[in-house]
Amino acid sequence: MANSMARRDGALLSAAAVTVDYPGVRALDGVSIDFRAGEIHAIVGENGAGKSTLMKVLSGSVRPTAGQLRLAGSEVAFTRPSDAIRAGIAMVHQELNLVPTLDVAENVMLGREPTRLLGVAIDRPRQRARARELLAMLGADLTDDHALARRAGDLSVAEAQFVEIAKCLASDARVLIFDEPTAVLGEREASRLLALLRRMRDEGRAVIFISHHLDEVVAIADRVSVLRDGKLVQTFARDAAGAIAGEDALAQAMVGRELGSIYPAKGEALRQESGAVGNAIELVGFGARGRSSGISLAVKPGEIVGFAGLVGSGRTETAEAIVGLRRREGVVRVDGREVAFANPRAAMRAGVAYVSEDRKGRGLHVTLSSVANMTLPSLDAYTHFGGARVDSRAERAVAQRWIESFAIRCARPDLPISSLSGGNQQKFALARWLETKPKVLIIDEPTRGVDVGAKGEIYRIIAELARAGLACIVISSELPELIGLAHRVVVMRGGTVAGELSREKLARHDSDERIVRLASGLSEEKESHA
Amino acid sequence: MSARSTDSKFRIQPFLEKWGVIVAFALLFAVSTWKQGFDFLNPENLRTLLNSNAPVGILAVGMTLVIVSSGIDLSVGSMVVLSAALGTTAMNSLIGNEWSEGSAVALGALVTLGAGLFAGAINGSLVVFGRIAPFIATLGGLAAFRSMALAIADAGEIRSQSSTLFGVLGRGGIPLAYESTPVVDATGEAAAPVFHGLLNGAGKPLTLPYSVIVFFAVAVVAQWFLSRARFGRQLVAVGANETAARYAGIPIAWVRFRVYAVMGLLAGVAGLVQSSRMNSVSTAQLGLGSELDAIAAVVIGGTSLRGGFGRVWGTVVGVLILGMITNILTISGVSPYWQGAVKGAVIVLAVLVQRGSRD
Repeated sequence: MANSMARRDGALLSAAAVTVDYPGVRALDGVSIDFRAGEIHAIVGENGAGKSTLMKVLSGSVRPTAGQLRLAGSEVAFTRPSDAIRAGIAMVHQELNLVPTLDVAENVMLGREPTRLLGVAIDRPRQRARARELLAMLGADLTDDHALARRAGDLSVAEAQFVEIAKCLASDARVLIFDEPTAVLGEREASRLLALLRRMRDEGRAVIFISHHLDEVVAIADRVSVLRDGKLVQTFARDAAGAIAGEDALAQAMVGRELGSIYPAKGEALRQESGAVGNAIELVGFGARGRSSGISLAVKPGEIVGFAGLVGSGRTETAEAIVGLRRREGVVRVDGREVAFANPRAAMRAGVAYVSEDRKGRGLHVTLSSVANMTLPSLDAYTHFGGARVDSRAERAVAQRWIESFAIRCARPDLPISSLSGGNQQKFALARWLETKPKVLIIDEPTRGVDVGAKGEIYRIIAELARAGLACIVISSELPELIGLAHRVVVMRGGTVAGELSREKLARHDSDERIVRLASGLSEEKESHA
Repeated sequence: MSARSTDSKFRIQPFLEKWGVIVAFALLFAVSTWKQGFDFLNPENLRTLLNSNAPVGILAVGMTLVIVSSGIDLSVGSMVVLSAALGTTAMNSLIGNEWSEGSAVALGALVTLGAGLFAGAINGSLVVFGRIAPFIATLGGLAAFRSMALAIADAGEIRSQSSTLFGVLGRGGIPLAYESTPVVDATGEAAAPVFHGLLNGAGKPLTLPYSVIVFFAVAVVAQWFLSRARFGRQLVAVGANETAARYAGIPIAWVRFRVYAVMGLLAGVAGLVQSSRMNSVSTAQLGLGSELDAIAAVVIGGTSLRGGFGRVWGTVVGVLILGMITNILTISGVSPYWQGAVKGAVIVLAVLVQRGSRD
């Protein structure tokens, strides 16, 4: 009964009142949504809105705290991703999961190799033939013998994505989930991929499409659902004329309307002083080679400049190029002098510090103590006899000083820093660089994985630092954060500056929508200082 | 301590992770004493035990630093033989050229240490500038350095031409007994000398060998550097997470290069001690396989092969454990062919007990 009902209205896969609780956070809150065969259903929302959690539930890697999933009308419960794959739900991940040392055909057929000799030997000709068939269905170029024999590690990102999708088809997937598939692609490749999504739809599969690029969403989705703070805000459908909700309505639904009071007052001192002061840091035609280019920007002491943009728009890469972590192009001037940092150490000596977005992998040593993490960049200041002795008392004292001034909850600074909460780790990540007495601070995603209480404290700290004359570049994917904190916001898209919002424009009520438009390519208007 | 271990089950594992190597040492010591009594506890036997393991111990201390940086050095045994062969050859030719023995020995020693340092610097350059995986780079050294030593002496032995001085480091030591003033008896003849303290089998004073002193001194300095110096902190940071270390502004290349150079220097020290003890260098035998003993000692001592954590004192105990196993098996008359099996079992057991300590 339920089965036939489901088929009639076409819901192939549906979630009913799904809730997911992580420790301290409700990631999804009673979301009910359905996905139909022969339909492209886009999911949009800001970072942290719950998109990836929803996808993880659908693809079996997260079990919902409450609520249920139905597949073709009958209830299903996945305990691991392979359950979902067996049920015909395949996810194409942002980070591709190919085996770089195997060739294209082997990757496509991985785990379902055709065999001969009683299942002992892989039937190479049939493996090739089947892979060729699947890739041809996708309209990929990888169908000749030479291409099938290429190692996956040598493929371009776009090619690898085709192989990944062919892999999903090999498993007879009825539901295909694409997590930001175009984020890593160029424009031509992206449009080919979108054509492929349409083809998958026309074959009667359910296609779920996550993207930050609203223009793409508007172009290809049959329905669009907007998530915010773990809740489903609205689902838009195409009207009779084939038009879907306006882009503005989407952007508005994504952002919502609350900018809390957790943002400190922006330094007014800056406006009086800055006229007379030179630039703390200046970029001219700068870029991280291969990732970004043509970025010109100047930041004065006491100024907080926000960097907005989508994941993959080149913000982090640009920052890393400034401090010598990547190859660069163009000119950087610090205090008016041209510099070319070979590594973060050189940047640090010149007073430029970069706090990484990736606390676990790059920003901190999670296995080392809080004290060791705290003093690592500035270690020279605590050594005697040419480094032969580290003054551990001085080290502990400096850690204690920051624990007090940043109100870090850390009872045992000698324990591994991984024992602290994200917010307290972030405060240490910030403090360790402040201890190097920088003039320019580049801070990447200052509140990622940080609870709300600590967020406010971190904002207050950044604002105070700026008031004391530090030039700050804040890279963030959270718009309220940038709007609340920065004096002006530079929006990046596709590796270069798409526009800039001045202090006056930021203060206007539609600043968040403007940023979303610039970042997602809906509007090419250049915002200038004037 | 017994109260603590009976507290609850899950406390035993962390305890063994941290102190397992000491427990193992104590157990082995007790078993050896129980089985062999004075044969084992005999000061002369203990002296031999320490003395014969000092060279491998010096290597193992250096290896600890290398492994903390998440590297490995397979070429240590070959660096030992090459540096000793070069140093001894240099000394012999100086003596042949009518140099005084003292200056010839001193210069030979310098050549040995310098050769070790140089070989280590080659390893370091390959790893840092050549971007070759440490395992491969030093595998090359393992083959190449030994082959050079063999070529120098035609695979034979290089006998030291120094009659006394050269052997002092390897065989001499601080006497652990003093001689009482000879008493002149009524007949006017000098009495046999009387010693007070530890004596060897021949009734002569037992010595604390210089090689053992060097071993412990190297260990103390290395432990100091690892836990108290900037270099040690940088090693740990690079070994624990190289990317994070780069982001923190640590000069990774310089840190890595130095640790291989230090390893080479310590291989030179071990080569000096060994050749001095033998008063010759057997190019086919000296240092053969000692990279494995050194790595085994490090692992038994609780240093993580993944890098980022290490303790020199654990390595020292590891060296003693390995030495004790050989020692006790030899005294008990167990065939040397079986000794490898027992050693292997102990190494695997040590890792099993300490596993999970870094997860």
